[in-house]
Amino acid sequence: MANITKKVSWSSRGDESGPAGEETPLLNGSEQSRPLTQMSSGSTKFQIGRLSTVDLEEEITTEEQESARGRPKEIPHNEKLLSLKYEIVKFTEAGGLSISLILWVVLNCVFVMLGAIMVAFFEPIAAGSGIPQIKCYLNGVKIPRVVRLKTLLVKVLGVICSVVGGLAEGPMIHSGAVVAAGVSQGRSTSLKRDFKIFEYFRRDTEKRDFVSAGAAAGVSAAFGAPVGVLFSLEEGASFWNQMLTWRIFFASMISTFTLNFILSIYHNKPGDLSNPGLINFGRFESEYNLYEIPLFMGMGALGMLGALFNVLNYWLTIFRIYVHRPCLQVMEAMLVAAVTATVAFIMIYFSTDCQPLGPDHNEEYPLQQLFCADGEYNSMATAFFNTPERSVRSLLHNPRTYNALTLGLFTLTYFFLACWTYGLSVSAGVFIPSLLIGAAWGRLCGILLASTTPNGLTWADPGKYALIGAAAQLGIVRMTLSLTVIMVEATGNVTYGLPIMLVLMTAKIVGDYFQEQGLYDIHIKLQSVPFLHWEAPATSHWLTAREVMSSPVTCLNRIEKVGTIVDILSNTSTNHNGFPVVAQVSADDEPAKLCGLILRSQLIVLLKHKFVELARSRLSQRKLQLKDFRDAYPRFPPIQSIHVSQDERECMMDLTEFMNPTPYTVPQQETSLPRVFKLFRALGLRHLVVVDDANRVVGLVTRKDLARYHLGKHGLEELQLAQT
Amino acid sequence: MSLHRYNSVFVLIFINSYAFGVFDAVNVTAPVSATTPQQAPSYVSPGSSAVVSPVVFKPAVEPAFSVALRSSFPEDLEVSEYCAELLRLFGQRYVAFVDCLVPAARPVKVCQNCFPEYHSLSEVFLNISSDQMGPGNVSCRDSILRSDRLMLVFLLNSNMDTIWQRSNCIQCVKDLSGPNNDTLYYLTLLNQTITCFEKYKQGNLTELCKNCKDAYKRLNDLYSRMEGNKTLCIDLEDAMNVTRKLWSKNFGCSIPREETIPVIAVSCFMLFLPIIFYLSSFLHSEQKKRKLIHPNRAKSYASLMNIQDKRS
Repeated sequence: MANITKKVSWSSRGDESGPAGEETPLLNGSEQSRPLTQMSSGSTKFQIGRLSTVDLEEEITTEEQESARGRPKEIPHNEKLLSLKYEIVKFTEAGGLSISLILWVVLNCVFVMLGAIMVAFFEPIAAGSGIPQIKCYLNGVKIPRVVRLKTLLVKVLGVICSVVGGLAEGPMIHSGAVVAAGVSQGRSTSLKRDFKIFEYFRRDTEKRDFVSAGAAAGVSAAFGAPVGVLFSLEEGASFWNQMLTWRIFFASMISTFTLNFILSIYHNKPGDLSNPGLINFGRFESEYNLYEIPLFMGMGALGMLGALFNVLNYWLTIFRIYVHRPCLQVMEAMLVAAVTATVAFIMIYFSTDCQPLGPDHNEEYPLQQLFCADGEYNSMATAFFNTPERSVRSLLHNPRTYNALTLGLFTLTYFFLACWTYGLSVSAGVFIPSLLIGAAWGRLCGILLASTTPNGLTWADPGKYALIGAAAQLGIVRMTLSLTVIMVEATGNVTYGLPIMLVLMTAKIVGDYFQEQGLYDIHIKLQSVPFLHWEAPATSHWLTAREVMSSPVTCLNRIEKVGTIVDILSNTSTNHNGFPVVAQVSADDEPAKLCGLILRSQLIVLLKHKFVELARSRLSQRKLQLKDFRDAYPRFPPIQSIHVSQDERECMMDLTEFMNPTPYTVPQQETSLPRVFKLFRALGLRHLVVVDDANRVVGLVTRKDLARYHLGKHGLEELQLAQT
Repeated sequence: MSLHRYNSVFVLIFINSYAFGVFDAVNVTAPVSATTPQQAPSYVSPGSSAVVSPVVFKPAVEPAFSVALRSSFPEDLEVSEYCAELLRLFGQRYVAFVDCLVPAARPVKVCQNCFPEYHSLSEVFLNISSDQMGPGNVSCRDSILRSDRLMLVFLLNSNMDTIWQRSNCIQCVKDLSGPNNDTLYYLTLLNQTITCFEKYKQGNLTELCKNCKDAYKRLNDLYSRMEGNKTLCIDLEDAMNVTRKLWSKNFGCSIPREETIPVIAVSCFMLFLPIIFYLSSFLHSEQKKRKLIHPNRAKSYASLMNIQDKRS
């Protein structure tokens, strides 16, 4: 941030009378030095941008553990761009405040527009924080395009644009996951390059393991929290074992180390490994007392602000269904950017809170001084112009007294703006903004507490309350386990483990009372993702497999006509993915005996390689190998792209060798819904065949059948899932 | 740039008591640290600090108590003549430095006034702490600096060093030759500005704002430039602080709150845009049809009906 150039001179009166335009004398009078600074920041920016892309390319060839390395470049990058933006805003100071307001708005809009266009038109899945998507992926749902290289690129660029455009800070978990998934496959389909390594990992299960490792590495790089491995544990625990945990833990450690190392080079102190995490809350030293714990828990109960946030965002997201066209989405994002800038400007304009500049105050922003006396700064401007991360740190640590009014207004506006921003089609997360909101109102609580007694309570250190407030506000995502660990690690003070844990629990309990789901779960639900939670809904034990399953089932014969297969696969109204293979389909829909299960992807590969067996002539070509299936993963061609001639349609295909001969089955009458649910969660199933007592197929249970059931206000309810 | 200018009174008081405290310490404990304990460590109450004499090292001070360490230690453990002389010199210069510092505390003129004293003090300390042998093949470093737990001489010196470092004086006065050119130029500009202030202070303040603006702005620019180069010391920072305060607070020459109307107009326009946007997209665009997936269930069970039945 050292490159952010010097302060603004709204103060010396001569600006109006002096030669207007670019000669505007600044307070520091650095007319000569200004172009130089600008150029240097520009060129550094370019260099860093290039570096980070090179890094990504390398990523794919390097070994798996260093997965989250693409990220560290980002924030410095942003800061350079930000400083460039402030430079531009400063040029217009002679013109008057309304002009610079407009210019600021326009600049923000342009950057946000770039980001939103990338997201809305090229890769909609890169919108938001990416955590809901990764959560679903780890849950076992196949989400198209979520771990593609293109997604990563759009995401990283989009985050840069949205942060420069004045919206919130961005997502690291998603990036880590994408990098890990890319590395594990040893190739990039987007770049059309295959490095012929890691071919054995080209399966869903393996890839999911890598994604969870990548997400954990992303967390640990972001917060300097190597035990962020618990995030993956919390989100993907069903496919977990000790060996994998250890590997992921190692990956997280290495990721923190790599980040540290690269940051040390960035700070020109190579080898100094004392920069853990991109988001660094600084060391937290103050102590707490036993009698403060009830206070902390009271603040945790204030976490119902988080519930309010969730409810507002829920209604907003429902309303956003009206804004579904990409161009409208881009416009909406631009409007949010414009309003954010305007509101910030108004707050700064009417704020009278001036603080004396300190010797440590070396970051400078436009409008910093505005109407304050020389040698003082407008603290509202600092609150809005600082990067959120820096604001959080200053709220946690700065001994400087904040003005309660400034803080309150800032919290209020930021709360609504963040609520409005989340869910836009820009790559902006909710984590850092809510951290900031929480820290702000927590600090406010601390200040108010200290002002209750005339000489101030000595133990009421506002920084401590800012931390507790941040934890309480983060209750909106309802991830108690990983949040506790992340907060404790990011503050570097284990003794705060208990208060943070209590606060998170209180916030979760209070929040659940108002809104039973976390923000991420709300968005997962609104997107109709068949997400399976930990347990089956509480009162579902009397539902049996027979009531849950889909019936009748589209089955295939062991030796099936190619024409039939193609027709079934091409049927867009059903779009099934797994087909039970039966001995002989009878004409009148009588259930037939189960032999196995075959997947759509397998059928497509078979068709693609023309592995058809002409019924009697036994004209088999070369032997099909497992490699052929791996090579097609994960982008199996759609059935429409496979040409099947009329002659071939008449051929027969023997599925016996390729089907899974031992699919999981349950008997129809005796199996309860919770048991089916457990099988799905524990084994990561996608299809479960329901059979009768003679092993004849009567139905099929998929995730969508299970995810419909949901415990609502009036007992068990069945939801309507939408096709996405 | 100093943060605590409104605290100046307290700072002054603090420095005063601190300085006198130092006097006490010097007077009382210097002999002890010099390992010639010919007197008992007498405690001087804070009340008497105002009348402390600047004399520092007098081996034959009357002890305060009747029982004291009278007998001297064997020859080889005593401080040599040379070191005792150095210590006496140190004490003198120390007192001179503190004498200079205290009056320069407010307004801060530490660097301009006290740099010769500081240099002579650090010269003596350098002699004491150097490991080169003095006359008689003795090194005073061990006998004066490292013989006891308190290490008083070292402590005193490091206190003074801290003051000098925190005041950043090294940026303004490098060595004995006095303030460097930048500082002198700055002081010239400062004097011009102050003179201008003096001249117009009686009359209309807007006159002052107009007439002194050039001088003030030049000063301000220079200050910012020096801030960037990190060539500022506490004297200059304090002077700038006071000047800025005069300019903005006393004379009220910073910019007034103007053109509120256009700013409000532009903001209102911006704030209305989203309302228009949402309304229009609500009215004109169609809600995306959600294609619902209807489950195919076994015929005999209509599950929702079933739920109702089973619950009752």
